[in-house]
Amino acid sequence: MGKKILVVDDEEIVRKGLKIHLTKSGYNVEEAADGEEAIEWMKKNNFDLLICDIMMPKKDGWEVLKFVRSQTRTEDLPVIFLTAKSQDSDMFEGYERGANYYITKPFTKSQLLFGVNLMLGKERNPSY
Amino acid sequence: MKTLDRKRTILTLRWAVIILTCYLIFFGKGRITDPDWGHLFILAYIFSNLILIFLPQTWFSNPKFFYFLVVFDTGTVSLGMYLSERVATDFYLVFFLILILASVSRNFKLLMIVSGVTASLYGFLLYSWGLLGSEQSSSYILRIPFIFIMSAFYGYITQTFTKESQEQLVLSEDKYRGLFENAKEGIIILRNPDLQIADVNGEAGRLIGNPKKEVLQKDVVDLFDPLMRERALSFFEQVVKDGEGATDTLSLKRENGVTFEVDLSIKKIDLEDDSFFQLIFKDLTERRKLEKRIRESKRSLQAIVDGIQDSLFEQNLNYVILRVNRAVAEKTHLTYEQLIGRKCYEIYCRRTQPCPKCPATMTFQTKQLAHQTISDADSGTVSQISSFPILDDKGNLYSVVMYVRDVTEEQRLQEQLIQSEKLAGIGTLASGVAHEINNPLSGTITMAEAALEEDDLSVIRTYLGDIINCSQRINKIVTGLRSYSRIAKQDDRSLLDFNEVLEDSLKMVLLAVKRKPVEVVKKFQLVEKAKANLGEVQQVFTNLITNAFHAMEGREGVLTLTTRSLRDVVEVGIGDNGIGIPEKHIKKIFDAFFTTKKPGEGTGLGLNIVYRIVTKYGGTVDVESEEGLGTTFRLRFPIGRDEDGQENIGR
Repeated sequence: MGKKILVVDDEEIVRKGLKIHLTKSGYNVEEAADGEEAIEWMKKNNFDLLICDIMMPKKDGWEVLKFVRSQTRTEDLPVIFLTAKSQDSDMFEGYERGANYYITKPFTKSQLLFGVNLMLGKERNPSY
Repeated sequence: MKTLDRKRTILTLRWAVIILTCYLIFFGKGRITDPDWGHLFILAYIFSNLILIFLPQTWFSNPKFFYFLVVFDTGTVSLGMYLSERVATDFYLVFFLILILASVSRNFKLLMIVSGVTASLYGFLLYSWGLLGSEQSSSYILRIPFIFIMSAFYGYITQTFTKESQEQLVLSEDKYRGLFENAKEGIIILRNPDLQIADVNGEAGRLIGNPKKEVLQKDVVDLFDPLMRERALSFFEQVVKDGEGATDTLSLKRENGVTFEVDLSIKKIDLEDDSFFQLIFKDLTERRKLEKRIRESKRSLQAIVDGIQDSLFEQNLNYVILRVNRAVAEKTHLTYEQLIGRKCYEIYCRRTQPCPKCPATMTFQTKQLAHQTISDADSGTVSQISSFPILDDKGNLYSVVMYVRDVTEEQRLQEQLIQSEKLAGIGTLASGVAHEINNPLSGTITMAEAALEEDDLSVIRTYLGDIINCSQRINKIVTGLRSYSRIAKQDDRSLLDFNEVLEDSLKMVLLAVKRKPVEVVKKFQLVEKAKANLGEVQQVFTNLITNAFHAMEGREGVLTLTTRSLRDVVEVGIGDNGIGIPEKHIKKIFDAFFTTKKPGEGTGLGLNIVYRIVTKYGGTVDVESEEGLGTTFRLRFPIGRDEDGQENIGR
């Protein structure tokens, strides 16, 4: 059974792309369209990794991160920010606030899988 | 003496004469030569006195009437004496003595004494002649009171007359002396023809600085400034020769040596038996001082006016230029002389008629200050012309001051400012939009990569469909951004539907600021189209909507957009329920470079540009704000501006 990843992004096409690639790499993927939905998912399920956008309606990425770190059950959950905020300052802020990895949009499959594998301790895919 | 008293006195005296004469004629022991004549005489006398009773009292104060009375009475009394015949000779003597006494005397009291003495002397003579106690003695004795009364009568008349004429003389003398002494001008009376100083009034003495007595001893020519002696001499020579009046401006010398300028006029005054010259002069020192002060203030005013680098001139109600400053001369390359008297529109507009939009025309009608911005297509200059009314004391307009300021450069800078603020806005927008592009771009890349690895053609097709969708989204965003960033020319104006522009601007901002959901309430009415530059109106709307989003950050935002048509304006409202503007900032929000954002986050030009653009179209910007509750901006754009969109800026 593959590891469970929760993908949070308000863009459907982004979620779709993520799911295709991650599923192909053997992960189980669940989707959430905004922060609130993501928190609902996490309250009910355990995930091995969270891939989260920052700028989203209702609750944004920062709030989701805050929730993750505040719960004992999820406080060690690896979190990857996947965002259009591409400036270095944004990235530093992400790490400062407790993200484990930071991927900027637009991204490629290899960038994504590199980060995911890094977070989940999987061996490097020889195809990189 | 009162007129009533005089009439009564004269009548009483005359009745006394009549009674005595009657006695002398009818009851005297003397024989009457012709009784008929005697009766007639008595009747005439009584009748005349009766007439006198009915004569108006004012006649009695007339000297001519007095003379007539004296002649009449003297004649009548003489006739009476002639008719009484007896002792006519002595009577005549006495009578003439009285007349002489009366006419010589100017004093009633003295006359009475003299007549008393005369009467006593007569009585003594009668006595010494032995006529007293004789059969005729009673008539002789009665002559004594007669003499007395007659003396009193004539004496009274003479005295009254002399007294009156004296009084009048004194009165007129006083009057003229007063005039002479108190005159504001210096007056010197000169004898003809030797020009000796006969009299000097107070002002003349004061001006010359000498007591009157000393001036009287001087030669008139010595009163003048020694440098002007020759001129003064010839002035007087001419006057004496022609005997006519003359005027001149000469300098007199004060006792202390200081000279002062005077306006001098001389006039020959002819009396019946004499003539003299009246020299009147007025000190010009004060007037010269005033003239100097006026000249100085005129000069400094001209200097101030010339110092103004903008054109400034005054024109009358017929557009004729009355005064100009240096800038006018420099800018028109004409001299002051060439400008003054010409019509304003000939010089400035090379026209034969007043310009249709001339603010002066408006000022002529309203008496109010008026402004107008006029662009000259030939030279490409833009001028802001103001006309200020000048009113006389009664509040009537008699001229206007025109102030012409070349605002070409200012307008160009303003255009530049608007443009650069727009670029800065594009920068902000672009970074927001760039984020927005990243999503479909991510989709394109990931879906393409997925397609590469996929063998199932039908799946690949769905991936390609996704890629096309994403690309189209990207295209749409880029197109929107490009339409915004198009740097439209200033004159590029078209009829705009403000609803459409507002909608587009909102989309643009929504692309850039992706926040927590903001509810957008649109209350759009069908509004008339207004002529404006699309880019500028978009700039206004995006600035205000962006501000609204910033104000609502971290809140459940409600953005309210309204449009409606009012009489001749389109009103656009952009409201938020954000943090609001603090009271102390509300007055400054439209100032350039006023910002509450951190350095680097805002230029401080956004609202300033909004204000500039809206007022450029003759519109207004109002703001309502309450701290903590939100802010609403209301813009009003006029519709149906005149052709080139210039307007009267009456801020």
